[in-house]
Amino acid sequence: MVSLLLILIMSLFFSGIIIRTKSIMSGRKGPGIFQPMLDIFRLWKKGSVVSTTTSFIFQIAPTAYFASVIMAVLMIPHGSNPGFISFEGDFIMFAYILAFGKFLMIISALDTGSSFEGMGASREALFSMLVEPAFFILLGSFALFTGQNSFHDIFSSLHYGSQISYLLGGLASFVLVLIAMIENSRMPLDDPKTHLELTMIHEVMILDNSGFDLGVILYTTNLKFAMYGALISNFFIGMLPFEISIPMFFSIQIVFAVAVGIIESFMARFRMGHNPQFVFILTSVSLLIFFGVLLVLGKFV
Amino acid sequence: MALVLGSGVLGLIIVRESYRPLLALFVVVVNTILSSIPSILALIGDTQTGALSIPHFTGDIVIRIDSLSAWFILIINFTSITGVIYGSGYLKAYSHLKVNRELHWIFYTLFHASMLWVCIFEHGVGFLISWELMSLSSLMLVIFEFQNKATLKAGINYMVQMHLSVVLLTLGFIWLYFITGSFGFSALAQMPLNNASVWVFILLFAGFAIKAGFIPFHSWLPHAHPAAPSHISGVMSGVIVKLGIYGILRIIMYLRYDWLLFGEVILILSLTTALYGIANAALKYDFKQMLAYCTIENVGIIGIGLGIGLIGIGNRDSTMAILGFSGALLHTLNHSLFKSLLFFGAGSVYQQTHTRNIEHLGGLIKKMPVTAVLFLIGAMAIGGVPPFNGFVSEFIIYKGLFKGLLSIQGISQSILLVLTITGLAIVGGMSLMTFTKTFGVIFLGNPRKELHHEPKESSFVMLLPQYLIVAAMFGVALAPGFFFSYALKVVTDAFPKTIPDVMGSMSPVIDNLSNIGLVSLVFMGLLVSVYGIRWLLIRKRDADPYETWGCGYIAPVKKAQYTGQSFTRSFGLLFRFMVKEKKSAEKFPKQRIYPESYRFSTNYIDLLERYLVIPLAKRLTFMLNYFQFIQNGQIQSYVLYGLFFIILIFLGTAFNLIH
Repeated sequence: MVSLLLILIMSLFFSGIIIRTKSIMSGRKGPGIFQPMLDIFRLWKKGSVVSTTTSFIFQIAPTAYFASVIMAVLMIPHGSNPGFISFEGDFIMFAYILAFGKFLMIISALDTGSSFEGMGASREALFSMLVEPAFFILLGSFALFTGQNSFHDIFSSLHYGSQISYLLGGLASFVLVLIAMIENSRMPLDDPKTHLELTMIHEVMILDNSGFDLGVILYTTNLKFAMYGALISNFFIGMLPFEISIPMFFSIQIVFAVAVGIIESFMARFRMGHNPQFVFILTSVSLLIFFGVLLVLGKFV
Repeated sequence: MALVLGSGVLGLIIVRESYRPLLALFVVVVNTILSSIPSILALIGDTQTGALSIPHFTGDIVIRIDSLSAWFILIINFTSITGVIYGSGYLKAYSHLKVNRELHWIFYTLFHASMLWVCIFEHGVGFLISWELMSLSSLMLVIFEFQNKATLKAGINYMVQMHLSVVLLTLGFIWLYFITGSFGFSALAQMPLNNASVWVFILLFAGFAIKAGFIPFHSWLPHAHPAAPSHISGVMSGVIVKLGIYGILRIIMYLRYDWLLFGEVILILSLTTALYGIANAALKYDFKQMLAYCTIENVGIIGIGLGIGLIGIGNRDSTMAILGFSGALLHTLNHSLFKSLLFFGAGSVYQQTHTRNIEHLGGLIKKMPVTAVLFLIGAMAIGGVPPFNGFVSEFIIYKGLFKGLLSIQGISQSILLVLTITGLAIVGGMSLMTFTKTFGVIFLGNPRKELHHEPKESSFVMLLPQYLIVAAMFGVALAPGFFFSYALKVVTDAFPKTIPDVMGSMSPVIDNLSNIGLVSLVFMGLLVSVYGIRWLLIRKRDADPYETWGCGYIAPVKKAQYTGQSFTRSFGLLFRFMVKEKKSAEKFPKQRIYPESYRFSTNYIDLLERYLVIPLAKRLTFMLNYFQFIQNGQIQSYVLYGLFFIILIFLGTAFNLIH
């Protein structure tokens, strides 16, 4: 319950912080941090243009995408405070519910019959397939590390004993940051800043959405960022009381957003063909975490 | 049951053409009722046994329906009934092929009954006879359009591979008979603990694996399924393949040692099967072939469940074992549901468009909205996303894997389990890609090619079985605890010694699964309410219709749409070590300055089939050519062979060589 509120609050200005960081880095003053959210509000009030090629899939996909992310957010705990929905193996359902939204977004891009959007859909499907193993190995390693099988139990029984386990926490945040970047198609993979047709993955998939639906999709992107940020913060909050954990949550989220801004300011987009290699780095880092866990548990004999 | 079948077949021969589907339905329903009653009794109570005594046959043939058989019998019955309803609508389009249709319904009833017999015979010989009957009757169903050369060729391929399976099984049973003196399955438990008895298991496993479609024995599936009429593909993919799984379960329940070794082998084999199957499925243009490869993938997932179960037994972790086996059983049920649904949907599309190539289709959602929605439900369920039923069984298998990861000590097994989790996650992602591609290209966008006639929605007779299947799917998705508790009973009945009766200790798992059902329900509620809010907010606003934004280009052509090939091209490049792209092009005439029409085609080849199965078969036939002189077409020499054989038998008995 707490985490749902916190994530909703954070999602209001997450992309604002990214944009602000980027403008400061390039020497501009930049808009206020609530500007992206105000833009989304404006979109929510608008009418729309709908392609005649599309069917009802195009109508339901954005809201279904939003609902799937909300459902996933409901599963995320805040330290010792369990999420709205919490049961053994909830992280499996977390990943698959996100896949539900993705499935609908991909087919809604194909629904428009556009060659650009098909391209984005194809890449979205490919990269989300490649990213899946990293998430599962990461959660598998932490399940092994703590001996627990759900988000809440893993995070609340996570305590760092040796120096190696601090390394594990750091690596896990690294993996989650990159997963968030890939899921939202941000900088090293794709450049959301360019003109819409020139972006390659996520932005090009939603070329035809307009008005309310576009607002929903943009807000869902922010929500997803805040959701991954909340996951990262959970690696450090542990059993701390609210007075400490809530400021910590926000500071970790802000650090995350600033880091995304800095990465986007100083990195260029990779060539599309090299992206799979980049995504595979994640899987190998997750495997590294897994072997680290085996080392900590003394299973290497 | 045999009586009903006999009268039914007779009736089918006599009754007029137009009533035959109805009579076939009647026979199937009667058989279903007759077999379902003892099955349900077996599933809630005790094993039902009986004995057939056949004259001139030593000993009784034991018939037994235990809960394992009951589980499969109920799956067979449901899928066969939906199949016969769908088929009666589907075959209406083939009214000119009178003979084919007459034979078809006779073999359909025979096929259904033989599948049931496979599940109930405890005796090896009875089992083999019904197994053979099942293979032959399904062969006759596959070659429905026997006038078509390609269909016949696929049928022969199917027949040869099925007989390879029968040969292996027969060898296994004969070996079993020589070791223990009995043909029954339960004799497997009395085998001495030595290496020879392991080979019996391996022979039987290989025989069943051909039927189930594990690699490298999978190559019959992608040929037989596209050739068969769609209701037959649905039933074959939903059920026949599962009987291979039934056989494997039946033999491993008598396994008394080496669980770990068998478990690891099955796990690795299944994981590669799943990956190989789905990578091929993602790249195929022929949608029925795609579904066939997807069946291979799902068999792999079921096999992963079996492997986890065996490893669980080997490590004395009964929770892991139960999760593995019951996950496999539930996935068997789920796959038989959504795969037959998808094949029925594919059949409706094929009937309306007369093409199986997805690149020629597009925009069908406007012409066939109901079929499209049903296909979408099937596609999402097979991708394993909640709130559909595919998620339930995959969740149980994942849970078994994570449980094993926590309890197992050895490092090699931990690594194996993590690799399996990785593989399963990749398989999930790939099936998402496969089915977004298939659904998107067939049903969405604009039509890519001019069709012969305007497609229209299929008839109610063809939609009704699909509604039934969808209802059953939501039943599994929303009440997984109920189905799991029966799967649990099957598992504890099948492994009484190795898995102690743990009904009590499994109640947290059942609660956990009920949670999943609840969460799925909440998710559906959320989807509906969010969409409702959107509808309330924007219903007064104007939504201008306009053509798709062409990025400033104002003369869009339908050919420029993304095709299935382009959708998976980068995937194909990444996985070219598994599936190879083959390009073929006409030679380009050099002297012309301006190129005229020019053909270029690509397709993806199944590497294992091309470089393992076909060369092997070629070598075999090459060797067999030396014996061709025997088949010389002269009736005199055939008579001579018979005489020669009789003399041989006589000499054998005379000198006491044959008893």
